[in-house]
Amino acid sequence: MNTQLLRGVAIFVALLLVQILVFNHIHLFNCATPLLYIYVVLLFPRNIPRWMALLSGFIMGFFIDIFSNTPGVSMASTTFMGLIQPYMLVLFLQRDSADDLCPSIRSLGATRFICYTFLMVLIYCTLFFTLETFNFFNWLQWLECIAGSTTITVVLAITLENFRSK
Amino acid sequence: MINSGMRNLLDFLAKYSYWLLFVLLEAISFVLLFRFNSYQGSVWFSSANIVAGKIYDTSSKIESYFQLSKINEQLTQRNLYLEQRLAKLERDLGDSAADTAMNRSLLLQSLHPYRLIPAKVVGMSWNRRDNLLTINKGEADGVKKDMGVVCGTGVVGIVYLTSAHYAIVIPVLNSQSNISCIIQGRGYFGYLHWTGGNTSEAYVDDVPRHAHFKLYENVVTSGYSSVFPAGVMVGKILHVYNSTDQMSYRLKVELATDFGKLRDVCVIDNTALSEQADIMRAAEDSIRTRESGKAN
Repeated sequence: MNTQLLRGVAIFVALLLVQILVFNHIHLFNCATPLLYIYVVLLFPRNIPRWMALLSGFIMGFFIDIFSNTPGVSMASTTFMGLIQPYMLVLFLQRDSADDLCPSIRSLGATRFICYTFLMVLIYCTLFFTLETFNFFNWLQWLECIAGSTTITVVLAITLENFRSK
Repeated sequence: MINSGMRNLLDFLAKYSYWLLFVLLEAISFVLLFRFNSYQGSVWFSSANIVAGKIYDTSSKIESYFQLSKINEQLTQRNLYLEQRLAKLERDLGDSAADTAMNRSLLLQSLHPYRLIPAKVVGMSWNRRDNLLTINKGEADGVKKDMGVVCGTGVVGIVYLTSAHYAIVIPVLNSQSNISCIIQGRGYFGYLHWTGGNTSEAYVDDVPRHAHFKLYENVVTSGYSSVFPAGVMVGKILHVYNSTDQMSYRLKVELATDFGKLRDVCVIDNTALSEQADIMRAAEDSIRTRESGKAN
């Protein structure tokens, strides 16, 4: 558990730096910004205590918010992701999977993992951009942002997962 | 009976305690979300805090090396342009009055009220509707809230939060930005707004219907508020629309400032000017009270 936790923290710190130094400056076609740090939430193992999932989500969102001047936005969304991650994971598990299973391409299989990633990222991007614009002042741009960011984040997350599982 | 009831309650709480935690954490997030805009004491909870500032500082230093040649080129061009303009102005002044020493002292006097504090942009977003910009000068360097920020090519924004060594600026690319400007040489004025999307275009609202102007004329700051001196470049008129209430024009403006490449900016220290504005306001108030006294 401890090595798992340390590995998670290390991945998060790396992704945090990449996010604030590179990804926050990317804005493809005026809509697609990668929000890759959500990848860390995807990796929570199956038997993670509920409070820990929530608290890790909260703390991660806190650091992202400080650096990108969006107080509360990613904090609220990552906390919510910490809440629903266990339910989402159960949807894509095989019946005989281990109790302490860590979601990955190897443990879930490629199709299931991609679906799981897509669903989680879609929910996250929807939450994030809803909270950010809040009053739906431009719903077309809101939809574009969600679609663009979901696509680019899923692609990056799958690529990263491929590298990690090798 | 009571015991088992208590135990049931405790069991229930233990089983679903994470929901309570969830509600608590979300509540904290939403408090931050809603209070930040009006909350001035939250400097540490933004990129103006020392750790975030340092990291952004380092990264922007590294980045700036890759753009030095381009910036140099721009500076040289700008310098050339200014030199020519200065030469022309001096010539014009020399024509109108023979006493050059007098002219020079007048010129210096007119620049005197402003002190420019050079700063570097260390962090900036431009993909949101409410973008913010972090600069590496703060209270220790004399930067205060509500000071204007400009760059070599045009207007940038207004200082919003300051910490000891960093400050956050609300740039033109923020839905809350509201800078008073006029059409150069015509005198009609309006307010500069940005509504998201394209970072090189903004809108000037509330231009009167009787205004005469042409496309591609320049829009500059009006100098009516003490934040910016008059005549700082804002942009070029690209298109004219009617406002939604049909009472005024809405101009689409191509911004003179390229926010994508923004690196060196100047904060305008307007302390002397804002004193002047305060005195004006005090005078107006006293006249008003006198008038209302008379009316009574």
